[in-house]
Amino acid sequence: MQLEEISRSLVRGDPGAVEKLTRQALDEGFPPRVILEEGLIAGMSVVGMKFRNNEMYFPEVLVSARAMKAGMAPLEPILKACGIEPMGRCVLGTVKGDIHDIGKNLVGIMFKGTGFEVIDLGVNVTLDKFIAAIRTHRPDILGMSALLTTTMVQMKVNMEGFRSAGLLDGMKVMVGGAPVTLKFAEEIGAHAYGKDAAEAAGKAAELMKDLKTAF
Amino acid sequence: MNSKERVAAAMRHELPDRVPVMCQLALGHYFLNCGLPEIEIWHSTEAFGEALITLQRRYHFDGILVNLPGRDPQWSSYIRHVEECNGEKKIHWTNGWTTVCPRDDNPHVYREDGTRYSAPFESIEPEKLFYIEPHAMNGIAYPAYWGFPDEPAREEDLFPPWQFDTIEYILQRTGEDVSIHSEVFSPFTQFLELLDYTRGLMALLDDPGKVKACLEALTRGTIALGRGQAARGVDAVLISSAFAGAGFISPDHYREFVLPYEKKVIEGIRSEIDVPVYTHICGQIGDRLELIQATGTLGIDTLDPPPLGNVELADAKERIGRQLFIKGNLDPVNVMLNGTPQEVLEEAKRCLEVAAPGGGYILSSACSIAPHSPPGNVLKLHEAVKQFGTYD
Repeated sequence: MQLEEISRSLVRGDPGAVEKLTRQALDEGFPPRVILEEGLIAGMSVVGMKFRNNEMYFPEVLVSARAMKAGMAPLEPILKACGIEPMGRCVLGTVKGDIHDIGKNLVGIMFKGTGFEVIDLGVNVTLDKFIAAIRTHRPDILGMSALLTTTMVQMKVNMEGFRSAGLLDGMKVMVGGAPVTLKFAEEIGAHAYGKDAAEAAGKAAELMKDLKTAF
Repeated sequence: MNSKERVAAAMRHELPDRVPVMCQLALGHYFLNCGLPEIEIWHSTEAFGEALITLQRRYHFDGILVNLPGRDPQWSSYIRHVEECNGEKKIHWTNGWTTVCPRDDNPHVYREDGTRYSAPFESIEPEKLFYIEPHAMNGIAYPAYWGFPDEPAREEDLFPPWQFDTIEYILQRTGEDVSIHSEVFSPFTQFLELLDYTRGLMALLDDPGKVKACLEALTRGTIALGRGQAARGVDAVLISSAFAGAGFISPDHYREFVLPYEKKVIEGIRSEIDVPVYTHICGQIGDRLELIQATGTLGIDTLDPPPLGNVELADAKERIGRQLFIKGNLDPVNVMLNGTPQEVLEEAKRCLEVAAPGGGYILSSACSIAPHSPPGNVLKLHEAVKQFGTYD
């Protein structure tokens, strides 16, 4: 079989086919990392590109993400058993007071599609909950989302909280959401801003290079 | 020419004395600026009515959008107690549910188990749907019911008896002078609110036939609500269609899941009462202005400019401005919220120079005035139309 078949099925949003083909690739002896990178991640990369070019929209991305999840089901335990690490670890959440999750979910999809492990804290995440998650999971990247002008200011409060708690060494913070701008991200001292989910995933990959260079 | 006549002229593409100005205000802006408790503004017909009138007068707006339904007059009798924590009020209702009321944002209803309700797509029976009110006092519900006592909606009464109370309250106090607009939610918006956005969007691909059956049922309720509002005497009905831009769906999906149903809503309301119906649609809509026009709407509200959206006002005026009236395009975040009064004035002047010639323009923020927008910035809009928006 060709791993492109996995990618094509993933872009089409066919979870049954992606899972079946992933199992078949494992049975045929393809290395798990190769299946992940050349099948699933390659497919999500096409999804991200099509999303940025307005060739795919939210519903299509969501069903592709569901297909990727189906492919990961047989693959993930094997990757773990082989000690194959994800590209990086990311903790995501929508800030306190904000219950909107669709943008943050899309970012999570794109991050996973780029090869990140994603720990999603959900919506209305307090500073204390972010801090506890950072201490527990030691993420490379922390992503904060806000859809409202009233809640984006919480990002600044959180940044100050992370700084006070000494959590910014070795961790990069990204922010995004409809009212958030690059200027605002810079003002609060965030390390990166994603205009949309696909851009955020690309910037996260770049931040990982910075982190690896720093160590 | 009074405000009512001015807005009517703009909607008809006639030249009024000056460009009218009216903005939708985020509920949080009322909470912060009216001197009334947020719990009352959200839950009480009279308090919300007073809040609408107070800010319309303070900002010299030519119109009011009544964007909450009337409320159950007995609402306060269902409260067990109110708790205050970190600047937020939390209402504990007699049925065990709670409502969290931030001081600057829409309240949210939580059920006994602490979750917010949304319906699994599999559980929905389209024939049971009628109208989903996203701002209902008791949150999203399926099938619809009226209030905290969980009284099911009776089939012979399409809406609760207090549904139109806010409209009537406002019309009694300002109806002769000010343009009063009501709001219905697009069937597509209701569908996504009912299911939650992720489930709703995936359903478009998983079972388009069932989605369409749901939208058809919700269209009937939306027409009934719009007709009821028009019958009370509003000057225009606004269809709120916040999830139909490119940030959510493709033009093809707009054509399939939004256009036909909003078209039916508009035709259904106007076939009974000749009231203007226009559309509020946010975000990236530059690729679908003509599709929105094809719904039969008389105007488009918001037209978010970059970076929030992608609508260039001159382009929109050229493409649809001769047939539809345009309302909006002032950046609600980077200008109205974070800009200076002088920047608001300059940006309003730019909008007026581009869109006012020939009529058919209402000066407005694109999307709502944010809760913390400085009142001094909002006041500049009236100054702008007086200074730069006259047709003499």
